[in-house]
Amino acid sequence: MEKVIIIRYAEIHLKGKNRGYFERVFCVNLERALKGIRHELHRTSGRYLVANFDEEKTEEICGRVSRVFGVHSYSVGLCVPYDLNSVYEAAKEVCPREGTFKVETHRADKKYPMTSMELNAHIGGRLLDDFPALRVDVHTPAHTVCLDIRENGTALVFGKFEKGAGGMPVGTSGKGLLLISGGIDSPVAGYMMAKRGMNVELLHFHSYPYTNDGAKEKVKELARLLSRYSVSAKLITLNVAHIQEEIHAKCAAELNVTLLRRFMFRLAEKTAREMGAKCLITGESLGQVASQTIEGITSSNAVVTLPVLRPLIGFDKDEIVLVAKKIGTFETSVLPYEDCCTVFLPDFPAIKPKLSFIEEEEKKLDVEALMREALESKEVFLL
Amino acid sequence: MIYLDNAATTAPDGEALARAVQFTEQNYLNPSALYGGEVSAALASARESLLSKIADPAQFALVFTSGGTEADNQAIQTCGRRNIVLSAGEHAAVYEAGVRLKNGGTELRLAPLQRDGSVKADALLSLVDEKTSLVSVVHVNNETGVVNDIFSLAREVKKKNPRCVFHSDGVQAFGKLPVRLSPDVDLYSVSAHKIGGLKGVGALYKRKNFALQPLLCGGGQEGNLRSGTENVLGILDFAFAAEKKFASLEADLARLKELRALLSDALDKSVYTILSPENGSPYILTVSARGLRGEILQRLTMARGAIVGTGSACSSKKPHSRVIEACGYGKDVLDGVLRLSFSPHTTREEVLLAAQALNGSAHELKKRIG
Repeated sequence: MEKVIIIRYAEIHLKGKNRGYFERVFCVNLERALKGIRHELHRTSGRYLVANFDEEKTEEICGRVSRVFGVHSYSVGLCVPYDLNSVYEAAKEVCPREGTFKVETHRADKKYPMTSMELNAHIGGRLLDDFPALRVDVHTPAHTVCLDIRENGTALVFGKFEKGAGGMPVGTSGKGLLLISGGIDSPVAGYMMAKRGMNVELLHFHSYPYTNDGAKEKVKELARLLSRYSVSAKLITLNVAHIQEEIHAKCAAELNVTLLRRFMFRLAEKTAREMGAKCLITGESLGQVASQTIEGITSSNAVVTLPVLRPLIGFDKDEIVLVAKKIGTFETSVLPYEDCCTVFLPDFPAIKPKLSFIEEEEKKLDVEALMREALESKEVFLL
Repeated sequence: MIYLDNAATTAPDGEALARAVQFTEQNYLNPSALYGGEVSAALASARESLLSKIADPAQFALVFTSGGTEADNQAIQTCGRRNIVLSAGEHAAVYEAGVRLKNGGTELRLAPLQRDGSVKADALLSLVDEKTSLVSVVHVNNETGVVNDIFSLAREVKKKNPRCVFHSDGVQAFGKLPVRLSPDVDLYSVSAHKIGGLKGVGALYKRKNFALQPLLCGGGQEGNLRSGTENVLGILDFAFAAEKKFASLEADLARLKELRALLSDALDKSVYTILSPENGSPYILTVSARGLRGEILQRLTMARGAIVGTGSACSSKKPHSRVIEACGYGKDVLDGVLRLSFSPHTTREEVLLAAQALNGSAHELKKRIG
């Protein structure tokens, strides 16, 4: 009786002729997630099986598997020869001792001498005999004992379905560059795009000496947390202090943030193209702050040609917080470090900046030179 | 790197530490055990030595604590009854302990400050009445370096209400200024790591007949006033470091007075305003770069090779220094506060280099943000 972990994948079955490609990437991602733990990964029809691992590692493997996108659900189960007695012994292991239950059989091997219904009745009957406190309820059972009769002479027996991370295998949806700030939203945005199969790279803007190293350390920690979800473990940072100084000195105060964001988008696009990323990702949510109005978004979009994905655009703050807590970035995000110095924050930022006014103000700056300088400040951290 | 934030902490004295480590390695027994005689004797002699430094051992006793914060908390939290009077210039350990009492129903009265950070004596005394259970006034203000005349304040307080407890936080005074506790002072907090000792050790001096209450209960150590197995290493190191520090106290004082004046003169007055009073502790020089941000200056100065302390943070979420604000300064001064603090190891050369770094940083920042 061998302990195994059964993994079912999410939307891949919707794919037609590309299915093989999705499955291969999914398999690579699973292997990467399990790196460092002794195991074997088998592909069977419609599911994957982790086998031949040390039993005390079960929990860790489950934790890692649960964070791989593309996993719909997984179960810890037993792999036994498919003769009746072996199957029953395994069923006894996974069955609770009391409460309501049912047995559910899936027969891949149609030549098996008993039908699914017969197996359900046989195994269920023996379980009832052995554990008198059990009761059968085929409609809303508290527990289900699942029997999976396979074509190779073995059966998988398991009790519980654990929910996986869902989504698509990371790497099947191209590469995007996430603008990560250290707040609550951007890590969630990165998580959501990774969930849809995107390879997410990370870019952070700081403004030393106006912000401190604490802010950078915080972003590094967020990046590390995100890397558990197959987000890139590489963080690129650029210093925008001089850009802020120039905007502060030469342009209308109410446009400080708007203009800075246009620089950030330009810098991000340049960085994205260098690394082959095909889009930018931000944590913007419509109307959340002054720069995230439709006018603000329009002004930022006007300086780039790559698509800008904003997966949180229709989310309320509390909905974002909920996801941040689920993926474990919330506690780090709320640590009190400033990502922007108040020196450069106007008292009344423009909520609906006009593009013509913005462009007029921006003419006062040497955009190209400032961009070049910011790009030269590039640092790369491998986490 | 030049280190001018010695009011935050000082480098441990290597010689004192080596002596303490050597003893502790060879004598690791629990001083409270029946067989722990040798360790217990060493503790007693450390206590005796520290006690005699600033007080008459016939009149005062000493309770070892985990540091200045615990000493302050024990004093404030166990002595607060109907109303307590604190100066508005207290360290957070005293102030927050007072706020805690206030949340429990005690009336918290704050005595206003003069411009230099010293408490207004008349105002303080007018807040004391027959129901006041405690008055606490910091000896050397940790943010401006001003020295409060705690002995005459204590005398006046006792005249007005003899049953009122008088406590003073002496963390920035101990081992730095000549201090002799008068019997009007009931409680006095000190800390080891501000004078070359280790972090995690401090003491509460108490008048011998004063009935202090413990904050922690347990095995009854420290005459049942502070339970918990004694921090032998830290306490011995504290005594050894104090021994050295007190031996050179007067000489240090004279030298640092000069260094402080030197730094004060070398700072560009078109940028820096001196907030510390001239007759304050020579260990602390607090300045403000008007209109600039202390935190940013601190980072720029560090990049130029000198570590200095800051009074405020570059953030809308963090408030300004409560104490400097209580001195009556406006936002432009509060934003730019820097605290420069010395140790006996600070050299003339370092002070001049630090002044250069500070001036350079301020000019750089001014140029950058216009």
